[in-house]
Amino acid sequence: MSIVIRKSTIDILCAAKWIARRDCRALSSVPEKVDIGEEVKEKVPGHKPRAHNPLLEYRHVYPEFLPDPNPKWRNSLREKMERADMLKRRSQIDIPEFYVGSIVAVTISDPHAQGKTNRFVGICIDRKGSGLRAEFILRNVIDHQGVEVRYELYDPTIQLIQVLRLEKRLDDKLYYLRDALPEYCTFPLDMDPEILPEGTPVPLNPVQVKLKPRPWLERWERQELKGVSNIEEHLKEKDRVRRELRKTPWEKYDLMKQYRKTIPAEDQSEIWNEVYNQLQQMRVSRKKMSRKRTFATPKTQLA
Amino acid sequence: MTTSNMKLLCTVLGKMRIDNIITRSHFSHPRFRPPYWYLPKERVMSDELLTQENKDFLEEVKQDKLIHQSALVSPLANNEPQELVQWNPFTRRVGLIARKIGNYPMWSKDGKKFQTTLLQVVDNHVIKYIPPEEFKPMKSSKVVWKEKRKLGCLLIGSETIDPSTVTKEYCGLFNSVGMLPKKHLCRFMISPHAALPTGTPLFATHFRVGDHVDIRAKTMDRGFQGVMKRWGFKGMPASHGVTKTHRRPGNIGAGGEKARVWPGTKMPGHMGNRWRTLRGVKILRINTKHNILWTLGVAIPGETGAMCYLFDTVLPLKKLNTPPPFPTHPPVEDLPIEYHDESIHLFDEPTITFEES
Repeated sequence: MSIVIRKSTIDILCAAKWIARRDCRALSSVPEKVDIGEEVKEKVPGHKPRAHNPLLEYRHVYPEFLPDPNPKWRNSLREKMERADMLKRRSQIDIPEFYVGSIVAVTISDPHAQGKTNRFVGICIDRKGSGLRAEFILRNVIDHQGVEVRYELYDPTIQLIQVLRLEKRLDDKLYYLRDALPEYCTFPLDMDPEILPEGTPVPLNPVQVKLKPRPWLERWERQELKGVSNIEEHLKEKDRVRRELRKTPWEKYDLMKQYRKTIPAEDQSEIWNEVYNQLQQMRVSRKKMSRKRTFATPKTQLA
Repeated sequence: MTTSNMKLLCTVLGKMRIDNIITRSHFSHPRFRPPYWYLPKERVMSDELLTQENKDFLEEVKQDKLIHQSALVSPLANNEPQELVQWNPFTRRVGLIARKIGNYPMWSKDGKKFQTTLLQVVDNHVIKYIPPEEFKPMKSSKVVWKEKRKLGCLLIGSETIDPSTVTKEYCGLFNSVGMLPKKHLCRFMISPHAALPTGTPLFATHFRVGDHVDIRAKTMDRGFQGVMKRWGFKGMPASHGVTKTHRRPGNIGAGGEKARVWPGTKMPGHMGNRWRTLRGVKILRINTKHNILWTLGVAIPGETGAMCYLFDTVLPLKKLNTPPPFPTHPPVEDLPIEYHDESIHLFDEPTITFEES
């Protein structure tokens, strides 16, 4: 639990400072994602960058190696066996780095398909689960019909996971694409992979989607979504009033809630120390095999 | 002579009265009496006001005992050729005490996913064997007409603990056989020829991959619950004029002749925290290094970290066919780290592909 005290010439608001400090303390994927926008803004004035433990950066690349933080389900030995099995599977198949918002192609062996394999391309709208139960959902619109497929990350029938476009979106979960206009999640099945140059940070796609008129599957207006542009024009006065009533602005100050949702930094560094070497070896050997990444400009800003 | 006898008999019979017969409508026998080998374990912890030197000395003694115990060699290791009686299908072997440590999915060779439960066998040792002649179980009110099969009682302990944390009596139970006290103690009824000497360690290899076991454990304690959670009742509608009876049971009995609540009616009450046995659970994978068993399914009672007892199954179709390690698996140095069932796909095997037929 390290508390970083920033030396700043410009006065930052007390609250903002506090949020930043707490985010540093929890050191897990959840708070970082929540406050990602603020952090980008803060870094701009030229502050000294934080001295991060490089091992802890793995929590974004391999989020499923962190166990479920619910103390009822934790057991160090089970987690260890699970990680060993995950590494065994990773030695057989390259599971690349991708995020919610990336466009991924998955080839899976299917006994009922023609040619016994099935390939699906789509945008990753959610990643969840930890350990061997990690899964992700791909969404695409095929023949004007929205299709979603849920894949298990460690399913041994998956032959290939290919990242066609590596990028992040403004939100953690993109379920609102179900209610968005279909062009925002329509991707050609024969899309070519866009290769980023070595060492570039994962680009953030700031596209804001347009929602279809109501009825919606969820009450999107209450979820403080950043990636939706036209939410206000579909709302009635009643919805705005209720949104105000349902707001929970105190939750971001609930330290215990944050703590319960995250794995402490000490536990994380223990986990990463255990798996770091093997993951690094696999990475290096795969890099040698694959061709080098070359730069390609993103074609469209839309989706 | 005969007449005087008759007179005597008549006077005796005449004195007898039948109007003051005492009948007891209900006799309550004790519901639970702990078995005689069980002694209270919990101790009230108090501050002993010891000096630092004394504390250090006690710690040293503890460490010595622990080292001595861990250096114990299994009695099965040295005297090998004592297996005179062979296993037969009517033999009852000893079981294991295990800890449930979680669940995770695995895949079969044909690409099907299934959930498994991990059970860790922690530090199991044989404490004591009580032969059938000496073993006197609890008296019960039921009259047993049939002569029962004579079974001995084997006490198994799991997880060595600090002797100063438990009562003197409980420690004495272990001291009398030269062991350190264990956190969990369980009784297994076994055939006399399956008995094991004191101090024998038991491992996960006591069972084999593909065998079926019965698992006895305490279910999760859910407290006082209503009928919807406890018995799966449907409840009543949320609207359409329903007031204050959304989760209530409704009618609990008929009128007329049966104008009462029948015994056994499903009603709200305490749920969980009961001993339950799940029968016929298949073992899919065994890790010999950490003594972990992977069992099929997630229905093993209890939460993560709960203790459970494993036995050979009694289900007729899943019973052992071939002789298992009998009386138990001896400690062997060069065992493979893992055993697997043929049906499961190992994570370090290549990706599953299907052939065109």
